[in-house]
Amino acid sequence: MYPVIFRHLISASAVLLSATLMASAARAQSRAETLRYVTAATVNTLDPNIPGSTREAFALSMSSYDRLVSFGRKQLNGKWVFDLDTITGELAESFSVSPDGLKLTFKLRPDAKFHDGSPVTAEDVKWSLDRCVTAPVLGKAQLLTGSLTSADQFKVIDPLTLEVTLPRPDKLALPNLATVYPIIINSKLAKSHATPEDPWALSWLKENEAGSGAYVVETFKPGEQAIARRNEAWNRGSPDKPASFKRLIIQSVPEPATRANLVERGDADLAIDLQASDVQALESKGKLKVISTPQYNAVTFISMNNKIPPFDNVNVRRAVAAALPYDDMFKAALFGRGTPLFGASWPDGTPPSGGYPIPQPVKLDLEKARAYLKEAGMPEGFATTFSFNVGQAATAEPMAALVKESLEKIGIKVDIQKLPDAQMSTSINEKKLPFFTEGIVAWLPSTDYFYRNFYTGNQRWNYSSTDNAELEKIAQAARFEPDKAKYEAEGKELNAIHFEQMFQVPLWQPAQDAVMVANLDGYVYQFTRQVDYRNLSRK
Amino acid sequence: MGTIGATLIRAGRRFLSSLPALFGVLVFTFLLMRVLPGDPAVFFASGPSAGKEEIEVVRKQLGLDRSLPEQLGIYLYDVGRGNLGRSMMTGQPVAKDLQQRLPASLELTLTALVIALIAAVPLGVLAALRPNSLIDHGVRLFCSLGVCVPTFVSGLLLIYVFYYLLGLAPDPTGRIDVFASVPPARTGFLMVDFLLAGDVEGWWAAARQLTLPAFTMALFVIAPLARITRASMLVSLGSDFVRTARSIGLSRWQIVVTYALRNAILPVITIAGIVFSTMLGANVLVEKVFSWPGVASYALDALLVSDYAPVQGFVLLMASIFVAVNLLVDVLYGIADPRATAA
Repeated sequence: MYPVIFRHLISASAVLLSATLMASAARAQSRAETLRYVTAATVNTLDPNIPGSTREAFALSMSSYDRLVSFGRKQLNGKWVFDLDTITGELAESFSVSPDGLKLTFKLRPDAKFHDGSPVTAEDVKWSLDRCVTAPVLGKAQLLTGSLTSADQFKVIDPLTLEVTLPRPDKLALPNLATVYPIIINSKLAKSHATPEDPWALSWLKENEAGSGAYVVETFKPGEQAIARRNEAWNRGSPDKPASFKRLIIQSVPEPATRANLVERGDADLAIDLQASDVQALESKGKLKVISTPQYNAVTFISMNNKIPPFDNVNVRRAVAAALPYDDMFKAALFGRGTPLFGASWPDGTPPSGGYPIPQPVKLDLEKARAYLKEAGMPEGFATTFSFNVGQAATAEPMAALVKESLEKIGIKVDIQKLPDAQMSTSINEKKLPFFTEGIVAWLPSTDYFYRNFYTGNQRWNYSSTDNAELEKIAQAARFEPDKAKYEAEGKELNAIHFEQMFQVPLWQPAQDAVMVANLDGYVYQFTRQVDYRNLSRK
Repeated sequence: MGTIGATLIRAGRRFLSSLPALFGVLVFTFLLMRVLPGDPAVFFASGPSAGKEEIEVVRKQLGLDRSLPEQLGIYLYDVGRGNLGRSMMTGQPVAKDLQQRLPASLELTLTALVIALIAAVPLGVLAALRPNSLIDHGVRLFCSLGVCVPTFVSGLLLIYVFYYLLGLAPDPTGRIDVFASVPPARTGFLMVDFLLAGDVEGWWAAARQLTLPAFTMALFVIAPLARITRASMLVSLGSDFVRTARSIGLSRWQIVVTYALRNAILPVITIAGIVFSTMLGANVLVEKVFSWPGVASYALDALLVSDYAPVQGFVLLMASIFVAVNLLVDVLYGIADPRATAA
């Protein structure tokens, strides 16, 4: 009796074992062809145009949808970053700008197909761009910055040709078509799900993808994960072949320590939002690849509301700028990971460049700070609050403590306020905060763009509530300045006003630390400050 | 028969009397969310190029441009029809989100509670049998440690040891390995769904995924359960009927388990009910650490960004569960102690 059972057991377990081995071999194979990306954030819509879209949603849409054109890449200090000045065709096989700069003509790729197999036509492109400038979507405000405001500007010439007319030559029109929002949608599919109340199929496209991009979304669970498979027919990448990874998993892992563990053990391939301290530890262990790119289209500020006393006094602002412990803050908040925008020397006292942002000649000098306070008529100092949002606590909290400590030395009493994210954005929008830290980012970073959007008007992004007629005039003029030398001179003027008036204090450009397993290749820092999954491959 | 009927009638009466409380919770949460500083329209219209116009569009979409009483009326009408609104954060209807996430939270909390009870009751009994002995002090030390170490610390510690150092546990990211396939959702409880699908390997994977977070949560609640068991066992062991049982020479097992424990279990059930409801809402840290897609972390994320609908839906859900658990405790009371029903 026993031996028979025994034999059965052995053969059964042999079958089981071989099945397990085969399964695990298959799993290892599919694991190697899968990119697992972990992040604190979450993809909350498949259409990046929906108000409230997260940056992760932007990133996924870069892979699931094509645009007419896309940005190239360039090397900055040995690291690959996006390049605004090289624009290549994505769905457009070729494009041309008329000599007067008023007409852009796009020839579509004849072989491009949507995920359901139907060809991409100029009609689809027109519908998608019309939607972007007409429907209540995020793209509207973005395309406005490139003089694209009305559906009349997009004209179908033939099934593969589209013409865009501009009211004036605008150097930002073409780059705007490469940003996140002007996705090209399968218009037939989308229209079949449109309703009279929702003619642009906003609610359907939010949860369903109808693109032609490198990846086809398979699973979409907001707050948990999004999974996409490769579109084998996609050939819009620079080497004219499909993306490298067969599968893409974007997973939400809220705890930063867990994300760090996952990447370190090789269970996840890539994370870009680890804590600076973890990044440093992982880098020193040397097992992983860490690519640190200064976010050259972003700036972190200490902002002062120029309309709220005592910050309406330029000498108070100068005093604060001279009393900030820059080096200590840079070390404590960022562990030195980023590009400082302080401690420069301007030998002749004028800005050396017309770019934005540039390092300013500010440094910790308490004597000078006291002198400025005296000049402002407040030698005894004053009391104020310093706010930051909970979401930024990891960097802002140590920074706030140092600001408080240092300003106390010149008599400014600082009360630290930590606000929930929504409350912080509301208070900023209502211009209620006198003194706080915040950051900005521009997708199309150019000097005039920064000054026009972040230093003018009574709107949320004008953190310092700057209202300076001269600055506004120069920035508006620079907007359509075709002459490069003149543009540079205008930029220098703007930078000089900024330094002289010290509206707010640019601190640094934080680095984006992409931590990845050693065999991952091709990472490029993108304007979205997210990963473009199409760039990546395994060595 | 009579006792069961009486229990049911009492439960029904209790349920009816809790309805006004539920309504109060509904209105109160609604008002509280609107009083909190933080404008969801501003927050959600925060693309890099969003201006005043975008904010107004979002405000209109959310219905926040209407007056407060009007908003409340619409909200109550919607809730009455089972529509809890739409979450801006996930873009999904709140009812669907909660329906997907509640089983995850319940599965975790129930498992943790079972682990905690299995550990706490014997520990409490042991401690009560030898008060002030080495065992008693040992149990006390263990309980204090469990309570003083916050769950996110013990969670991270368990992850560090069992996942990072030893590699025994699967990666702490949610209910199931991302590479594994999910069984057809019948109940939403993965442990049940895998069994229904007959997928033993999947069941085992899900169980492994569940172990660390469940133990983390259990560690935290063992203390109240064990302490209550000990205290009520002490009272019970010192009472007349136990002395009588001893004097007529019943076996030690019979005295301790059948007589003393049965009489001591009432307060433990009450506490277990309360612990369960609290855990369900308060295990947000465990959910965060283990990327568990539960309701508590969902509500916290929503609260941070002033996303009204999910928070309101969550509070309503929690209130309903609290009512349900209290009803259940009442019914269990009747079974454990028939006098409770008679009274």
